Amino acid sequence: MTLNAAVQEATHLREDDMARHVIDATKEVFSTMVMMDLEESYPLQESVTHFHCSISGMVGMAGSYTGILAVHCPQSFALRITSNMLGMDVEEMGDDVNDALGEIANMLGGHVKMVLSKGGMDINLSIPTIISGEEYSINSMAESDTVVVPFTHEGQRFLVSLKLHKE
Amino acid sequence: MANVLIVDDSSTMRKIISRSLRQAGLPVDDIYEAGDGIEGLSALGDKKVDLILSDINMPNMDGLEFIKQVRANGNSVPIVMITTEGGEDIIKEAISSGASASIKKPFTPDQLNEKLGGLL
Repeated sequence: MTLNAAVQEATHLREDDMARHVIDATKEVFSTMVMMDLEESYPLQESVTHFHCSISGMVGMAGSYTGILAVHCPQSFALRITSNMLGMDVEEMGDDVNDALGEIANMLGGHVKMVLSKGGMDINLSIPTIISGEEYSINSMAESDTVVVPFTHEGQRFLVSLKLHKE
Repeated sequence: MANVLIVDDSSTMRKIISRSLRQAGLPVDDIYEAGDGIEGLSALGDKKVDLILSDINMPNMDGLEFIKQVRANGNSVPIVMITTEGGEDIIKEAISSGASASIKKPFTPDQLNEKLGGLL
């Protein structure tokens, strides 16, 4: 897993630099919107494509760069995230959890968009997409163009992945 | 005391903004919610609103089109964008369309207070 070479050349950012942007943005979003302090454990040692009892929130980017920013986390942790964001106990998966994970992906996608485009008009963000279930897999045709950062909070682990291409 | 309309497709974000307005100690009375620009325009038709807080990236009618429609209807209520879309060109377009200011997500109640204090 690494940052696409054309993206590195266009942005003058190495993979570590892009990972740092993802780490800083994720920590900021979680500290201000979720009231959680995170620890990162970058780099990811092994590729993760199969998820068990999890939920994935994803935002697509289209324009001068294309890609997907995704947040993958266990459903139990997603319930905690949603409870913190809403300020109330959320005990079942459903619309509230889907919306919360989608909004986190949206904020992180917006941050990455700002890194890639100062003006902001040459890249469009999609409306968030959610996948959740007991067992599912997400496979990319170009897995090597993805930066993945694992985070932990009180023993719970989740991933933020960023797949980018230069158009 | 002011009535505020929050226009955002995320129900989670609408609740966070609503809670943050209260936590910031701003003089807010009623808070109304809309899930996109179309719902926002509908709310403006039958409610007294003193301030609009709007996202940009929304389905059906996005925030930029929403601002233009509000102004085209002759409504001069202050509009502040609360968005992840913080690019200079997008903010310039929002301001030129009639927005008063912008706030970047994520935000803190203190940042809301700083940006909105003069408008309420």
